[in-house]
Amino acid sequence: MTDTFEPKITAFVCNWCTYAGADLTGTSRIKYPSNVRVLRLPCTGRIDFMLLAKAFARGSDGIIISGCHPNDCHYTSGNYHARRRWMVYRNLMDFMGIDTSRITFSWVSAAEGAKWAELVNEVTEGIRAMGPYTEYQELAHAGVE
Amino acid sequence: MSRIGVFTCHCGENINGTVDCGKVAESARGVPGVVHSVDYKYMCSDPGQSLIKEAIREHRLTGVVVAACSPRMHEPTFRNAVAEAGLNPYLCEMANLREHCSWVHEKGEATTAKAADLVRVMVEKVKHDQPLQPIRVPVTKRALVLGGGIAGIQAALDIANAGHKVVLVEKSPSIGGHMSQLSETFPTLDCSQCILTPRMVEAARHPNITLYTYAELEKLEGFIGNFKATIRRKARSLDEKLCTGCGLCTTKCPNKKIKDEFNEGLATRGAIYVPFPQAVPNKPVIDKLNCTYYKTGKCKLCEKVCPTGAIRFDQEDELVTLDVGAIVLATGFKLMKTDQFPEYGYGKYKDVVDGMQFERLASASGPTAGAMKRPSDGKAPETVVFVACSGSRDRSKGVPYCSKVCCMYTAKHAMLYKHKMHHGKAYVFYMDIRSSGKDYDEFVRRAIEEDDVSYIRGRVSRIYEEDGQLIVQGADTLQNGRPVEIKADLVVLATAVQAQDGSEALAQKLHVSYDPYHFFAEAHPKLKPVETNTAGIFLAGACQAPRDIPETVAQASGAAAKVAGLFSRDELTREPVVAVVNRLPAPTFSYCVGCFLCQSACPYQAIEQEQIKARDGSVIRTLAKVNAGLCQGCGTCVATCRTKAIDIQGFSNEQIFAEIMTL
Amino acid sequence: MDLIEKAEQLLQSGDVKAVLGFEAGTGGTRRPAFARRPGQARRLVFDDACVQNLASYVTRKETRRLGKVAVAARPGALRALLQLMAERQIQEQDVLPLAVDAAGQVAELPTAQAIEEHLALEPGPVSARDRELLDRLGKLSRAERWAFWQGELGRCVKCYACRNSCPMCYCEHCTMDCNRPQWVPVPSHALGNLEYHMVRAMHLAGRCVQCGDCGRACPVGIPIHLLTFNAEETVHAQFGQRAGASAKLDYALSTFRPDDKETFIR
Repeated sequence: MTDTFEPKITAFVCNWCTYAGADLTGTSRIKYPSNVRVLRLPCTGRIDFMLLAKAFARGSDGIIISGCHPNDCHYTSGNYHARRRWMVYRNLMDFMGIDTSRITFSWVSAAEGAKWAELVNEVTEGIRAMGPYTEYQELAHAGVE
Repeated sequence: MSRIGVFTCHCGENINGTVDCGKVAESARGVPGVVHSVDYKYMCSDPGQSLIKEAIREHRLTGVVVAACSPRMHEPTFRNAVAEAGLNPYLCEMANLREHCSWVHEKGEATTAKAADLVRVMVEKVKHDQPLQPIRVPVTKRALVLGGGIAGIQAALDIANAGHKVVLVEKSPSIGGHMSQLSETFPTLDCSQCILTPRMVEAARHPNITLYTYAELEKLEGFIGNFKATIRRKARSLDEKLCTGCGLCTTKCPNKKIKDEFNEGLATRGAIYVPFPQAVPNKPVIDKLNCTYYKTGKCKLCEKVCPTGAIRFDQEDELVTLDVGAIVLATGFKLMKTDQFPEYGYGKYKDVVDGMQFERLASASGPTAGAMKRPSDGKAPETVVFVACSGSRDRSKGVPYCSKVCCMYTAKHAMLYKHKMHHGKAYVFYMDIRSSGKDYDEFVRRAIEEDDVSYIRGRVSRIYEEDGQLIVQGADTLQNGRPVEIKADLVVLATAVQAQDGSEALAQKLHVSYDPYHFFAEAHPKLKPVETNTAGIFLAGACQAPRDIPETVAQASGAAAKVAGLFSRDELTREPVVAVVNRLPAPTFSYCVGCFLCQSACPYQAIEQEQIKARDGSVIRTLAKVNAGLCQGCGTCVATCRTKAIDIQGFSNEQIFAEIMTL
Repeated sequence: MDLIEKAEQLLQSGDVKAVLGFEAGTGGTRRPAFARRPGQARRLVFDDACVQNLASYVTRKETRRLGKVAVAARPGALRALLQLMAERQIQEQDVLPLAVDAAGQVAELPTAQAIEEHLALEPGPVSARDRELLDRLGKLSRAERWAFWQGELGRCVKCYACRNSCPMCYCEHCTMDCNRPQWVPVPSHALGNLEYHMVRAMHLAGRCVQCGDCGRACPVGIPIHLLTFNAEETVHAQFGQRAGASAKLDYALSTFRPDDKETFIR
């Protein structure tokens, strides 16, 4: 009858910390839901805010953004710039009425395999409870058939 | 025209057990641009790689996606294979179907669908990949070794003997590290200083080694082959050229009450001191924090008695900047102190000591000249209890790991004690005996069978003082948990091995990863134990994880071999994943508007100005330009640029856009 | 000296090649005007109806070709000029800002420092009305704000008047012109409208001098200046930096402090 809603989660992660951390989750065989698709970037500093907007437009119900802890960035300061960008963008999105609770920002280091799994678990279940982000996705289809 | 080949690996059952690799290969066939898609059991094997190479030739492939394990694992493997077949290696990408898919999800349609998605993402990425040529940078053939213990000394000697220059930096006034504090080493019971000091002298005298003691790393800039290190040489308050090492000043210093670090607080020293008699260099240093002159302006006795006038109270720290090509981290470990144990007295009982303190008591050069005398009253201890696993393997103490060396040194301590006091009673409370090295188990057996050390399998719950003795309460789990109480004269806690103080700060200076316990992280736990994730920085010894001397020496030599390998060429090839500012024909020249907001965002100062000039020399435009030698490819500038004039090859805007669009 | 006299003087002496000010338009409006010869200076007016930010003209090719220009500048335009200097789009010697006081008297501000000193005496950029609007929107629920902006942005016809009026939107090749990849759909489109204004606000974060011209320029009356104001307010509140405060670049999104406070990162 009613299929469980399977949310679509896109994750933007940095290569040196979170991607490696997610690798460690794999090596440790810790299980988490398969809804997430990880996109590898060299650094969180590379994450243009437009990528998030595109992910939502393309049908993501939830987004995860994760990188190295402050002070530990492989490139010294990429995550600091990313952090500032996110602070401004998040406020702007909220001001425009976009549901920022669907975006989770986190710092996951290369040694935090368990944290990554926990994060994906929580986010997947959280987004599942929120339901699909139809409000935003409808915009993409407006006037186009 | 894209002609992409997709190669899906089963990785035995690692991927195929959970993901239907056949279906993944099938779905890849349907992606526009893919002309060839197969699956195979082990892509990284020789036949697997041949499959890829043949396909490149036969199908004239313009790009390759290997859907297998993590790119952090095998990207270089497949890029090499692809290059051998004549395709630019940067046109090869990997989809992570193992660490990010088969190993973390349950078998089923959803997992296979995810695998197919991940492959599609990489196909889109490859379609936008550009063939890139590696960037060549020169290599400075000088190594920097941080830490002058046995690890640092071994690494420095090996690199120096390979014909390269080494700068060895040690924080304390002498090299030698913890090994110089040990009395005898297991499993041979060699005198520690006897086997160490020749190496120390060799390191000091080697023509290729420059020794900076009482010095620390202040700052590090640059990248592999081209680091710029700033070393702070702390002021010894001494003119080393004039000092002959006669030691007269150390005997005359009136301030003799300072706790001696080398003897782990069991003895005292003066404010002007040489850490130990065999110190290298054998020159004193003034402890500014405790020296009467530095604190109150009075005294200067050492200056008065020095026969060569070598004392310099006005000496300042010196900053030295060096160009180095590689760095070896050998900063060692620290031992947990007894004050971390409320159940054992908070460190208040003088006769409850840690392993290193016992070494000093047992050492011929120690505060008791090697005689067994307990710290509180100097009496010979008739009964000694050794508590293994103090703090280690204990989550409540924040140390869930095993410190590796304590089982062996506890057996050694018990044996040393028994050799010095034949009629004394030695007890060891243990959880397990971990003696897995060569001749190690035989060594422990010797302690039990020949030297009559009593091993009790159980933990010690409480130690308290009563009538000048220590009451040790434990249990014997091999006798059904029978409570055991021993009245001991001396208790030695085999406390946990921990990361050196300041490890976190040092790791951040070097951009090296570290684990939750602040041990430095290796690049791969199995296959890259001496490298870090930061190219050009290598690891040796206990700063990476607790380890004993043979392993430390082996690892140090391994790190040295890596450094020598790095220095074996005059040029280094660097990954060409760098940022590039776009260029167009006149009159546009570029989308770049010359605002240089990117310049302030770049962590490496890699963005420079480029002036576009007219024929008459007047400047038409000033544009940003990336110095490819400095750029590390983080992409912060790309995300900062409004006009998208600057892009990064390998993670370009088009590529990531295509990746998102295909999901 | 009033504006007309000053303009005549400057043009006569040849110190500047044009004076950029306002002239009377139709129906009581005012529009920007370039006075190139002393005789043309008589057209210039400066009153409360002169609100456009003239700094948006100084980066145009046509203006640059003229040479040095004087600009009748309100505080918003002065801030924009400083920000443009910080972003290396103009140099101090390319423009001569003219500040006009309530009595119509003109002060020359020939250096960046003079501009900074003059601005220090001005009140903050956000008008009381805009402040009230921002507060009111801030108090609504997220869903209400979504409904509000969807309603407003639904009217956007992608005329790009906002972009044209903004002094900080000087990029000849705007991100909207990029088609590899095509980040934002070009026509008036529900998603494209949202994304365009989001992009614009983010590209102005830390650079917006809060002159409000974009909101005034919008032919369908969308208060889009509130979006850029919001981004700028976040920058100021979180990082203490303000656009147009100095001719020395201090861009919030390419600098950082290790102790920037974040409350939402796990």
